[in-house]
Amino acid sequence: MLYRGTANFLHHAVPFIRDGLDAGEPVLVLTAVSRIDALRAELRGDAGQVQFADMAQAGSNPARIIPLWQEFIDRGSKDGRPVRGIGEPIWPERSPAELAECQWHESLLNLAIDPATPIWLLCPYDASALEAGVVAEAHRSHPLVTEGDHRRESGAFRGLGGSAEPFSVPLPAAPLGCRSLAFGPADLATVRATVAAFAAQAGLKAERKDELIAAAHEVACNSVQHGGGGGELRLWRDHRSVICEFSDHGRVDDPMIGRRRPSARSAGGRGLWLANHMCDLVQIRTLPQGTVVRLHKRL
Amino acid sequence: MQKIFGFAWRGKSGVTQWEKGTMSLLKGAASGEQPMAGWLEGEPMYTDRQLVIRHTVPTNGLSFAGTIDVMNADQVASALISQLDQGLPLHLELSRVEFSDVSGIRAFVLAAECADARNRIVLHGLPSLLQRVITVVGWADLPGLEICSCSAG
Ligand SMILES: [Zn+2]
Repeated sequence: MLYRGTANFLHHAVPFIRDGLDAGEPVLVLTAVSRIDALRAELRGDAGQVQFADMAQAGSNPARIIPLWQEFIDRGSKDGRPVRGIGEPIWPERSPAELAECQWHESLLNLAIDPATPIWLLCPYDASALEAGVVAEAHRSHPLVTEGDHRRESGAFRGLGGSAEPFSVPLPAAPLGCRSLAFGPADLATVRATVAAFAAQAGLKAERKDELIAAAHEVACNSVQHGGGGGELRLWRDHRSVICEFSDHGRVDDPMIGRRRPSARSAGGRGLWLANHMCDLVQIRTLPQGTVVRLHKRL
Repeated sequence: MQKIFGFAWRGKSGVTQWEKGTMSLLKGAASGEQPMAGWLEGEPMYTDRQLVIRHTVPTNGLSFAGTIDVMNADQVASALISQLDQGLPLHLELSRVEFSDVSGIRAFVLAAECADARNRIVLHGLPSLLQRVITVVGWADLPGLEICSCSAG
């Protein structure tokens, strides 16, 4: 859904929410606090029936959004009842890396939710504030587009078959001359110590540094176990984050990796889930020559 | 927590000595050479280059100092399970665990799955990050695993 400014957002979102409430459907809205406030004011007494969450918190790392929808669907549509939601993960202040992950999230959402699930999901894009390229990508990741009062099929939609394509688009190269370390099965302690030293030097405080180390260790373990026995660690920082990259020769077949809440009984598959909850952003790409995982921890 | 007086056999080997030069990560709330107040340590029951596990008082307890990860998680699980057959809760003092990864935590989970209501596993002094990790990965509410309120944060 393309809109221009808050009034236009309300023009689309309020009837969508009211239709759901009238039909007795659970409604979840994930967007910015300012839009939640505007919706509450407009919905008045009915706002209490709507579940709201601040996307800047809940979806700061966009890889945490799909599990939220999944839980909402599991809770809300037990008896086959339809549910509906509004999710707005993209805003102009997103960094380029965050934006890339949000766009990947939007495409992956097509695969994450079984097409037979009775859910209406509205994805608002503020066309008055976002760059044209962001709006163009939204046309590739969404089957239907609403603009003004017209709903149409998106001719640019890459289809369900193509929705995993962004998973194998390479990330921008790591900066030349960054700290790097080749590691094998016996080097996990060295990996942790290297990340710890770099993070401390960059100014990450104790608790956040330890969170990054915990995530980095799990990703390094994945390289050892599934990536050909080891890999290469690279560390650098930009003006907002410490970035910790692992590359190896393994391939990841499941683009949903790190986005399925592990059950108490499942054996593996916790490393990247943990990374997504210990880091501000996790970028995973799998290419013919191997897999890259990039952890971002804000300074 | 039990308080024991007049207990003299406190082993004092250089448990944390070798760790100091290499690194110190994910320190527990009460890291250092001493276990938490109220605990007394006995003989080591497991030692490797990154971890020492000792018998303790309160009876049927174990204290951990060092690192638990993929390198020793299987051995830790075996050590825990070997102490389960006594029909009592197994109390673990974890304040000096400097680092544990998911496979290390899984060792506790595997042992907890072998435990029953009488010999469940109780984690004491669990560092706050580990407590969060256990919750995030979905192991916080296992029936055989109890996190004592003496754990940090
Ligand atoms: Zn306790």
